[in-house]
Amino acid sequence: MAAVYKTLSKPSEKDADGDKNGSGTPGAKRNKQKVLILSSRGVTYRHRHLLNDLAAMLPHSRKDVKFDSKSKLYQLNELAELYNCNNVMFFEARKGKDLYIWFSKVPNGPTVKFHAQNLHTMEELHFTGNCLKGSRPVLSFDLAFEQEPHLKVIKELFLHMFGVPQGARKSKPFIDHVMGFSVVDGKIWIRNYEVREVEKTKGEGEDENEADKARKTKAGSEKETDVSLVEIGPRFVLTPIVIQEGAFGGPIIYENKRFVSPNQVRSDLRRSKARRHNARAEQQRDHLAKRGNLGLLPSGAAKTVDALDTRAVFA
Amino acid sequence: MGKKKTISRVEGASKEKKNVKAKPVKQKADKKKTTPPAPVADEMEVDKVADDEWEDEDDGADADADASTVPPRSANKKDKKQKKTKTSKQQTPVPPAAEADEQDDDDSGSDDDEDNEMIGYDNHGIDLAGIDDSDSDSELEKEDKDGQDNGNDSEDEIDVDDLSISGSEDGENMRALTRIRETINNKDALLASLKRIALDVTPGVVPFAVHQSVVAPTTTQSTMGDAAVDDDLARELAFMNQAMGAARTARALLRKEGVPFTRPVDYFAETLRSDATMELVKAKMVEEATAKKASAEARKLRDLKKFGKQVQVAKQQERAKEKREVLSKIDQLKKKRKEGASAALGANETEDMFDVAVDNELGDSSKGNKRSAGGDSGGRPNKRVKKDTKFGYGGKKRHAKSGDATSSGDLSTFSAKRMKSTSGGRPGGAGGKPGGGGGHKAPRLGKSRRKAAGRK
Repeated sequence: MAAVYKTLSKPSEKDADGDKNGSGTPGAKRNKQKVLILSSRGVTYRHRHLLNDLAAMLPHSRKDVKFDSKSKLYQLNELAELYNCNNVMFFEARKGKDLYIWFSKVPNGPTVKFHAQNLHTMEELHFTGNCLKGSRPVLSFDLAFEQEPHLKVIKELFLHMFGVPQGARKSKPFIDHVMGFSVVDGKIWIRNYEVREVEKTKGEGEDENEADKARKTKAGSEKETDVSLVEIGPRFVLTPIVIQEGAFGGPIIYENKRFVSPNQVRSDLRRSKARRHNARAEQQRDHLAKRGNLGLLPSGAAKTVDALDTRAVFA
Repeated sequence: MGKKKTISRVEGASKEKKNVKAKPVKQKADKKKTTPPAPVADEMEVDKVADDEWEDEDDGADADADASTVPPRSANKKDKKQKKTKTSKQQTPVPPAAEADEQDDDDSGSDDDEDNEMIGYDNHGIDLAGIDDSDSDSELEKEDKDGQDNGNDSEDEIDVDDLSISGSEDGENMRALTRIRETINNKDALLASLKRIALDVTPGVVPFAVHQSVVAPTTTQSTMGDAAVDDDLARELAFMNQAMGAARTARALLRKEGVPFTRPVDYFAETLRSDATMELVKAKMVEEATAKKASAEARKLRDLKKFGKQVQVAKQQERAKEKREVLSKIDQLKKKRKEGASAALGANETEDMFDVAVDNELGDSSKGNKRSAGGDSGGRPNKRVKKDTKFGYGGKKRHAKSGDATSSGDLSTFSAKRMKSTSGGRPGGAGGKPGGGGGHKAPRLGKSRRKAAGRK
């Protein structure tokens, strides 16, 4: 409520909308984001480490203790307001193995629920890249993010949450890493790379010319370098499941029909295994019944001999 | 989420209910048509019938089970079942959602209409029965869509049990796997909510440094081409290329805006990954490199060992062959020399002394040399030499060792120094041989050496 009061009482902020992209100075809008990062109970160590990695990467984030409830997620709205956050990244662990991540714009923005797979934390990946803690990343989006409305919404959320706002409190003044978001196979793959400056390879004549030109100008030494990427980690894949219109509530405005719940996958696996066993058991039963009918089992009744039986005819 | 789940469960139940009801409608259409729109009690009865039918199908034993022949016992069972379901229903939380209310409002449709619709719902209901309740969100929306939906609450309560029965069947579950879920993609709402939260990232108006986001010119899917998603290398390369393009673009744009991009070498600050972690990474890399090197070396050694054996054997054989050749040559030479020595002593003396012949023989065993070597022995033909050696030539061989005029005249072994007896010649020697008037004398050498000395 306090936040609402503040936004309403500010005279300069006529164009303030719900998500508080409040304008610091009239005219120029300031990108002001704060992310509340927290998990539910029952996360595994990997989920926790991923959360820590992301929190370390985002200086504009606020990490909170584990949230106790999985059903009353709307309580997160109040929690976020308490911490003055306008974004919530909520890690919901199910059955001690499945991880769902909720991205939500808090007062009344959309909420996206993802299923996270292929988690690899920074620590376990052993990549050689490194970057400043809290430096602002360059966000690299796939073109696919511009083609579908639901991906547009997701892109916007990523932009708010993973993009460190300019002049954030603990951010560093240099840019030394790139976060890549790619859509392949209906899933969003997220990677994090360090940007390193290297000597430009002079293979082509065009480059040579450019280099010559650069040498003539004053900033020649700078322009001769090129960038190379070294991966830092973490790596993970998000499958969008559902988009809700409100923050942890409201009507569902998108649902991914290609998403198959991991429970379903596991039960299918189990069932296919059970089917094999059932078939074998059935076969065994049929076999026994057949033998019983022929009077071949020691316990079964002897076959009744009628007049046309082979034994009777050729006796 | 929990709230939704309960709603969807109720929906599933109502659908199932319809399905169950639809069967008796088909089978006993006449009876059904004549019955007026049912009060709750009547509905119950129909349900019982339906349940029995349902169970009969399950058993597959009594093909001719009919509603008219339902024994009272089973009816009692049904009643019990209904009670049970009612109690279980009470345990499940009642959804307070607006959707549920909406549904109640829509219940005003007449029952006959209901029945006709239900036939249409038949397959649908079965499909929904198998749906895992955790992911049946889609039904919510469907519920909103068909406004004339009309399960009433009492029906819902009754058939929860049926749902669980049919849900446990294999066939049902099989069909559940191949179900087609109705999907929600409300583009207008999506765009509206996007518009609500969107940051202004117009390229010309807002500086790039504000958002620092780059959209790639191509989709990664197209960059990857035919490569499968499982192809790690191709996939990661595509991701990296996308990020690389973004990094270049961003660098150019930021430079243009005068925003510092590269970290100066003397700027130290806390890094994302701690130094300890980086040390570990480095150690791991070093370890990997050394392990690689060591394994390569070991392999090389193994190969060498395998191949070296062959080399060794070949070398030994070659050495043995060489030795054999040399020995045979020497033998030949000895033979030849013997001949030469017996045939013409004087002519060959110098050659013999320095083993020139041996050298010649070993050096180049060409025919011409041999020829010339044979010709050296006095110019006589080979046959004569052989005969001479065999039968003897050049005088008698008796008294060869006896002294004669020349031998007695030979003073080459005489040494004036030795002849002069000096007491201080050798301290030990002088005392050791008291009777030696001529002083110390060296012991007599063997014959061949004496001869050799004599030639000098």
